[in-house]
Amino acid sequence: MLSERPFILEVTGLTLTFSREAATPNLLDGVSFSVREGETLCIVGESGSGKSVTSLALMGLLPSPPARIVAGTAMFEGQDLLKLPERALADIRGNRMSMIFQEPMTSLNPAYTVGQQIAEGIERHRGARKDEARAEALELLRQVGIPAAESRLDAYPHELSGGMRQRVMIAMALANRPKLLIADEPTTALDVTIQAQVLSLVRSLQQATGTAMVLITHDLGVVAEMADEVAVMYAGTIVECGSVAEIFDDPQHPYTIGLMGAVPTTGKRRGPLATIRGAVPPPEQMPRGCRFSPRCPFAEPRCHETAPATRMIGGTHRVACHLAPLEALATDMPRSRETA
Amino acid sequence: MSAILEAQGLVKQFGVRSRLLSQTPVVHAVNGVSFSVHEGETFAIVGESGCGKSTLGRLLLRLLDVTAGRVIYRGTDITDLSARALRPLRREMQLVFQDPLASLNPSMTIGRIIGEPIELHGLARGAQRRERVAELLRTVGLQPGYAERFPHEFSGGQRQRIGIARALASEPRLIVGDEPVSALDVSVQAQVINLLERLKAEFGLTLVIVAHDLGVIRHMSDRVAVMYLGEIVELASVDAVFDTPLHPYTQALLQAIPVSHPGLRRERPALTGDLPSPTAPPPGCRFHPRCPHAKPLCREAKPEHETLSDGRQIACHFWREIQMSGAGAPLEAAASPKLAQRLALYRERQAKVEAAEADA
Repeated sequence: MLSERPFILEVTGLTLTFSREAATPNLLDGVSFSVREGETLCIVGESGSGKSVTSLALMGLLPSPPARIVAGTAMFEGQDLLKLPERALADIRGNRMSMIFQEPMTSLNPAYTVGQQIAEGIERHRGARKDEARAEALELLRQVGIPAAESRLDAYPHELSGGMRQRVMIAMALANRPKLLIADEPTTALDVTIQAQVLSLVRSLQQATGTAMVLITHDLGVVAEMADEVAVMYAGTIVECGSVAEIFDDPQHPYTIGLMGAVPTTGKRRGPLATIRGAVPPPEQMPRGCRFSPRCPFAEPRCHETAPATRMIGGTHRVACHLAPLEALATDMPRSRETA
Repeated sequence: MSAILEAQGLVKQFGVRSRLLSQTPVVHAVNGVSFSVHEGETFAIVGESGCGKSTLGRLLLRLLDVTAGRVIYRGTDITDLSARALRPLRREMQLVFQDPLASLNPSMTIGRIIGEPIELHGLARGAQRRERVAELLRTVGLQPGYAERFPHEFSGGQRQRIGIARALASEPRLIVGDEPVSALDVSVQAQVINLLERLKAEFGLTLVIVAHDLGVIRHMSDRVAVMYLGEIVELASVDAVFDTPLHPYTQALLQAIPVSHPGLRRERPALTGDLPSPTAPPPGCRFHPRCPHAKPLCREAKPEHETLSDGRQIACHFWREIQMSGAGAPLEAAASPKLAQRLALYRERQAKVEAAEADA
C-alpha cells in the first residue's frame, strides 16, 4: 500500500542522550521514521522504549541540559526541528504542529478557564482579537462534541470529566489547523467507552482537516484502530516499521511477535499468553549488540555482539534483526547463511 | 460447586454522616449487589472507573464495613465478626493490589514483607520461616537472595510478584486481585497473568479479579459480573458475556474495545455521555440516560435481576427485545498464517530457553 502523499515529517537517525559521559548508551539510538500528509503513524512500545522522549524531542520540549541531541535530523516543512532556535519553535508549536498529552489535567492550566486556554493559542499565532478568539473557541468546543459548549467555555478544567478534558485538549491542539498533531497516549487515562468516543472524534476531525498524526501508544488495539503506518520501538530504537497490515500480518521482529502473543484479546481463550522474559534494561545497562538480545529467545552470539542494521523487507516494511525472517532459521543446525 | 464466598444485597455508602451545617453528599458506591463465588473458579468483576468494583472487592474481604447486606465466607457470616474473630479467616483471604510499590512497605526488606504474615499467623519461625520465604520467592519466579533487598530495587513486574508471594505466604484459599496487572506493561503483564494462573492450579485457589481490561478478563476468568454505577447489570459465564452479551451496557462496553486487527475497523455506535455521579444516581435503571434502547419505563422503574435458565443474571427491562435487535460481540480475526507460524516458533524457543534457565 504505497501512498503518494508527500512527507510532512521525516526523522532520520535521531540519537539523544541524557548523560554527559560519551560511554553511556544513548537513550534514543538512530530513530528514523516518516509521516505522510494526512496519515497516521503509530509509535508503539512499552515503558522505557523512548516513545515519549521521541515526541518531546520533536516538539523541543526536553530540558537541555541534560538532554543532548547527538545526531539526526527531523525535517518538518523544510525546517530541521532539532536545530531551530526556541523562538522559531514557539511559532510552530500549537500552530503548524501541536501536541496532546496523556493526562489532560496536568497539561491544562487549572487557573484559567477552558475558553481562555483555547483562545490563547488563536490570539498568539493568528493575532486574533479577544472576542474573535472566544467565538472560535466556542465553535471548537462544539466541534469536539462538548455538550452545552456555551456554559463550558467559562468552566475550569477541574469542573470537567476526564473525557471532556481530553476533548478540550483536542480542541486546543486543532485550533490553528496544524499540519501535524503529536498525540502521546491520548486515551490511556480514559475508560474504554470514553476512549472509543475520543478515538472516533480524532479520526473524524483528522479526515475533516487533513492533519497528519503521530500517535504514541502502548496499546496494540489502538494501533489496529488508528494507524496507517506503525513503528515498533524497543529500548530507544525502532525495531520494525511498516504499514499497519504488514505489522499485524507479517511481523518480523521477535519483539513485535512476542508483543502480539502477549496481549490477551477478547476472542476465545487459546492457552497461556506468550511472554517476553525479563524487563527493559535501564539505560546505563543497555547491551552492546541488539538491545533486545537479552530477552530474545532466538538470540545468538552475533546478536549480543553487533547491533543489527535496518533492512528493507518490502514496501515500507523495515526490520532491525539479524535473524528475520524467523521461519528461515533451521531449528537445530548451526547457521552461517544470511549475513545481509 | 460449592460457594466459597457469597455477597447478599451488599450496599456501601460513603459520607453518610452529615455534620452540622455541612452537607456531605452521600456516595452510593455499591447498591444491592448479590452473587456467589464458587470454590476454585476465577470470578471477575468488571466495570469502568467509579462503578464501585474496587469498593466491592474490599467489602468482600471486610477491609471496608458494609452499610447493609451480608458477606458469607464458607458458610460463616463474617459481616459483623470482630477483628479478633476475623483474624483466622484473614489468613485464608488475601488481597493483591494494583500498585505494588504503594502496597509494599519501603523500609522493610522483601524477606520481612513476605515473612510477616507467616509469623503473624504462627505458620513458621526462625530458620523455617526464612526457608519458607525463599520457597515463596522461587514459587513466584524470583531469586531467594532477593529477601535481603528493598522494594525500590525492583521493577514493577517484580514488585507485583513480591505482592503475590506475600499474599501466598499465609496459605490462602481465596485471593482478591484489585487490578492486579493493570499497572504493568504488556510483556510483563503476560508473565504475571501466567503466574497467577499457574499458582491457582497449583494451590487450588479461588480468584476474584477486579479489573477494567476486558482482554485480561476474557483470558483469565470463568464467570464475569459486569458493574455499572454500583450495581451488577449482568452476570454470566465468560463465554456468554463475551459471545452473546445481553445487557445494553455490556454490549456497549464490548463494542468500545479497540479492534484486534486493522482489517476489522468499522463504524460503530459509541456510547454517548459520561458516567453520572454516584452521589446522584439516575432514577429507575441507572444506565438509562446513556442507553440507546431506553424507554419511559426505564426512567420510572428499576429493573429486577432476572435469572435465566443457563444461570445468567441480567437486570434490564427489555433484554429480550434488545437481543432481537442483533447487537453482537466484538469481531475477532484469526492470526495471519505468517504471524501464527512465527508465534509458534517464538513459543517453542521461549519454552526451550526457560527450561534451560530452570536447569541452570
